[in-house]
Amino acid sequence: MKRRTFLQLGTMTAAASWLSGCRSANEKLIPYLTPPDEGVTPGMAVYYASSCRFCPAGCGILVRVSEGRAKKIEGNPAHPLNRGKLCARGQAVVQELYHPDRVTQPLKRSGPRGSGQFTRISWEEGLALLTEQLGKLQRERATDRLALVTPPLRGTLAELAAGFMRSFGSPRHLSYELLGPDWLRTAARRSFGQPSLPYYDIAETRYLLSFGADFVEYHLSPVQYGFAFGRMRQGRDTVRGHFTYVGGRMSLTAASADRWMAARPGSEGMLALGIARLILAESLFDAGSLTANGLRADDLLRRLEAYDLDRVAHLSGLRQDVIAEVAREFATTRPALAMAGEPVAFQTNGPDAVRAVQLLNVLVGNLNRPGGIYPDAGETTGPEDSFAELLSLVDRMLGDRISVVMVHGDPVHAVPPATGFQEALARVPFIASFSSLLDDTALQADLVLPDHAALESWGDVIPLAGTREPVIGLMQPVVTPLYDTRQFPEVLMATARGLGGTMAAAFPYQSYLEMLKSSIKKRVGPAGGGDFEVVWVDLLRQGGLFKANNGQGKSLRWAAGATLPDPGEPRFAGDEKQFPLHLQVYPSTAFLDGRGAPLPWLQQLPDPMTTVVWDSWVELNPETAVWLGISFGDLVEVTSPQGSLRLPAVIYPGIRPDTVAIPLGQGHHGGGRYAKGRGANPLALVALMGINREPQPAWNATMVRVTRISEKGELVTAGNPQGSYRSELIEI
Amino acid sequence: MEKMTSPYRWGMVVDLDRCTGCGACVVACQAENNVGICGKREIAEGRDMHWLRIERFWVGEYPNVRVRFLPVLCQHCHDAPCEPVCPVYASYHNPEGLNGQVYNRCVGTRYCGNNCPYAVRVFNFYSHEWPKPLDNQLSPDITVRPRGVMEKCTFCIQRIRRAREDAEGEGRKIRDGEVQPACAQTCPTEALVFGNLADPRSRAARLSRSPRGFRLLEHLGTHPSITYLKGGGREHV
Repeated sequence: MKRRTFLQLGTMTAAASWLSGCRSANEKLIPYLTPPDEGVTPGMAVYYASSCRFCPAGCGILVRVSEGRAKKIEGNPAHPLNRGKLCARGQAVVQELYHPDRVTQPLKRSGPRGSGQFTRISWEEGLALLTEQLGKLQRERATDRLALVTPPLRGTLAELAAGFMRSFGSPRHLSYELLGPDWLRTAARRSFGQPSLPYYDIAETRYLLSFGADFVEYHLSPVQYGFAFGRMRQGRDTVRGHFTYVGGRMSLTAASADRWMAARPGSEGMLALGIARLILAESLFDAGSLTANGLRADDLLRRLEAYDLDRVAHLSGLRQDVIAEVAREFATTRPALAMAGEPVAFQTNGPDAVRAVQLLNVLVGNLNRPGGIYPDAGETTGPEDSFAELLSLVDRMLGDRISVVMVHGDPVHAVPPATGFQEALARVPFIASFSSLLDDTALQADLVLPDHAALESWGDVIPLAGTREPVIGLMQPVVTPLYDTRQFPEVLMATARGLGGTMAAAFPYQSYLEMLKSSIKKRVGPAGGGDFEVVWVDLLRQGGLFKANNGQGKSLRWAAGATLPDPGEPRFAGDEKQFPLHLQVYPSTAFLDGRGAPLPWLQQLPDPMTTVVWDSWVELNPETAVWLGISFGDLVEVTSPQGSLRLPAVIYPGIRPDTVAIPLGQGHHGGGRYAKGRGANPLALVALMGINREPQPAWNATMVRVTRISEKGELVTAGNPQGSYRSELIEI
Repeated sequence: MEKMTSPYRWGMVVDLDRCTGCGACVVACQAENNVGICGKREIAEGRDMHWLRIERFWVGEYPNVRVRFLPVLCQHCHDAPCEPVCPVYASYHNPEGLNGQVYNRCVGTRYCGNNCPYAVRVFNFYSHEWPKPLDNQLSPDITVRPRGVMEKCTFCIQRIRRAREDAEGEGRKIRDGEVQPACAQTCPTEALVFGNLADPRSRAARLSRSPRGFRLLEHLGTHPSITYLKGGGREHV
C-alpha cells in the first residue's frame, strides 16, 4: 500500500467513525472507490451556467462546483453581454451563499424593533403569520393597506409580484432603487418619445464624451461597457478612441480619461448646451442629422443664445479655450458619442441636463449608427418615476394607511432618510422581510422569511441595458440549499395559496420553477421546436436565451414637439455661508449602494482610487484640506442641513476644491459581521430638494461643512497614499 | 543549471491603456487561490495577503491631475532575486519560466520577500480563518497555507497543469488562449493577456513586442516575464 492510499483510507476511516453520529455521513464524505450517484468525481469540477442578479446589469456567469460546493464564479463566455468577463462584485457573490451570518430559518421578532432579538420559528408558523396578517386585510376589505417594496423586478418575478398584488387588490407595489435609471427613461420619453434605455456603442466610437457617466463602476452595464472601452482604446489597429470626462469628481471612470474637465456640480447640462451652441455657431453640426430629426440650425442657435462661451465658462468654472477645444474635437471626430450619468442626473436641474447631452448627440449625427448611441435598445418597461411612488408610499405610511409591508432588499439602508422612509416604516404595524442576512431592514421587521442565496435560486435575469439583442439569462441552483430557506417567489405563491380563493387561483403553478418554465416557453415560442424539456435543458446549459438581433430596434429620432432642454442654474440645499462645500455621494466601486458590504472580499478589496479598505471616508481636495487644517486620515465631521457624520478624511487630488465626496455602501447596522457598524452612510447627510415644490431625487444637491475633530481617523489604506514607486521610475 | 527544454515559457502582457483599475482581477485571484481574508488590523500592519494588487499613482496637481493604475503581481523573473536567497529551496524556477514556491518546504525566513523588488510575496503572519460555512468556497486544487509560510502568485499553476494534462492526453501542445489565470480570464477590458512567450505567434508574445512595452523596474536586471504596455495618448497632462 502506498503512503498516499494509506493516508486516504486512514483519514476516511477516522472521519467516517467520527461522522457516523451526524445525520448523513454520505454528505460529508465522498468514497474514492465507488463514486456516488450524482456524477460527483472527486477532484473534478463541474461548471453550471447561471446569471448574476447582484446588480441590474445581469451578466451571465459560470459557477465552478466541486464535490457539491460552489467554488468560484466566472463570466459566461457564451453570454452576449459580458463575454466571459466579470466584475469584482459578481465574483464575490459566492460569499453570499456561504456567509457565516445567514438567516437559517424563519424568524419572529421577540425584542423591540432594531434590537436584533428574534425567535426561530418554522416555515408553517412563519407563513401562517403572514397569511393571517394579509387575511385580516382581506376580511376588513382594506387590501390597499398592503405594500410590497422591492428593487425594480424584471422577467418572471416581476410578473409574479405584479400578479400577487393585483389579485390581492393592492396597487402599492413600490419598485425603488436609489440608482435606478428612471431619470434616463424619463429623459428618453421626453426627447425621443419612448422610455427606453439607450445602448452606447463605445467599442466603435472615436470620441467618447462622458458627462458623469461612470460606466466602469456601475452605470447601466459596467462589465459590458468595460469590455467595450478596452476595444475602443486598443481593439482597432490604427484608431485609439479618445475619452473626455466631465464631472466635479474624478471617478474611477474619469481616471481612464484623456482629459478630465472638473465642471462645477450642476453646471454639466449648461456646459453641454454651451458646447452645442459653439458647434452651431461654427457650423460644425451634421446638417443631415438635424433635418432628419426635425430641427433647424438657425432656430436652435437663436434659442441657445444664452449659453455663450463666456457665460458657460463662468458657470462651469472651466477655461474657455478648453471648452471650445472639446466642442471642436467632439464635432469633428466621427463617430463620437456623448453620454450622461448619475452625478448629472441627481441635481435639481438633472432631468434637463441629461436631455442637453442627448441633444449633443443629435447635433453631430450620432443617433442610430455604429460608434454612436441607439436610443431604442431593450425593453421599454421599467419605472419612470419610482421616486414619486416612494414619497407617496411614505405619505401613506405616515398617515397610518398601510398596515403590512413586505420588503425585499434593504431600503432602510439604501433610501435617504430625508425622504422620511425609515420614520414612516417604523409606524407600520407589521413588516415582513425576505432578506437572507439580518440587514438594516430585516432588523426592523416583525417577521423574516429568508430568501435563498442567488446560487440556490431559480430565476430569469433580463439585463437592464448594454445590449441591443434580446437576452434572457437563466438562473439555476448550483448547490442544494444550505439552510431551511425558501425562495422569495415561492413564499409569495405559498402565501397566495394560503389565502385561498381568487388569490390561489391566480397562481395555477405547483412551484416557481414551473411558472418560470412556462414563461420561458412563451418567450421561446414555436421556434424552439418540439420537446420543450429538451429546449429547457439546452437553455440552462447555455445560460439563457440569446437571440441574434434580427428584429433591429427602431431608429428613434428627436420627437416632434420635444421641448429644447433648459437646465437652468442648479439649486442646492444649505446656506452657502454656513455650508460652503458641495457634497457628492457616489456608489462605491466595491459595494454599489451597500449590497456588497456584507461580503469580506469586497471589504478587503482596496478602493481603486484611494486604496482604503474596510471603511468609508470623505474626499477633500488638497487645497481645501490645507485651508481646513485637515491631513490624510484625520477624523472629520461633515455637517449638512440634514445631519452630520464622522469619518476619516482622504486627501484626493482629483476633486474640485469646492466639493467633497463620500462613497455609498457602508454604515450598516446589520448585514452580518463584516458589514455591521463599519464606516458611515452618507445618505444621512442628503437633503431633499424639489423643483416647484415637487421633490426630486437630487442626491448631489446638498451643501456641507467639514470640521476637523482629531487625528484618529483610523483609516487603513492598502497602498501608500502616493503609490509605492515613484511613477517616473517605472515610466508609466 | 538545467537547460530550459520546455516548449512553454509562460508570460503576461498588461496593457495599461486598457486597464481601468476596476479591481476584478484582485477578487478573481483571491477567489481562485484560497487567499486569506485579512481584517483591517492586518492590512494596517502592511500584511495584506493579496497576490495581485493595483498600484495607484497621482500624477500632477489639480486641475491637471491624472491617475495611473498599475496591476502588480509576481513578475516571474528569469533572474529572480527571491530564488537564490532561500535557504531551503522553497523558492525555485521551473522549466516553464514560472517562479514557484513550495509551500511545504518553506520555513518562513522571509528572505525571499525581503529580496523581491516588487513586493509581491506575501507572508502568513497570522492563521487565516474562513468561519463556517465560508470554508466551503475553498478550492480543492490549492493548499490552504498555514501561518509562517510565504505565498505568491503562481500564474494559476493549477490551471496550467490541468491544461497540460488535457493537451498531453490528446497528444498535442496547449493552444494559445486555452489556459488563462483567473485575473486575465475575468479582466473586463482584456488588459491582461496570458500566453506562451516561447511561441512567437501567441497573442501574448506578439503584444510583448509592442513598441509601447516596458518591464517593471527593468534596470534591476531581473528579466521579468511580464511586459507592461504604456498607456497612449496622455496628451493633456
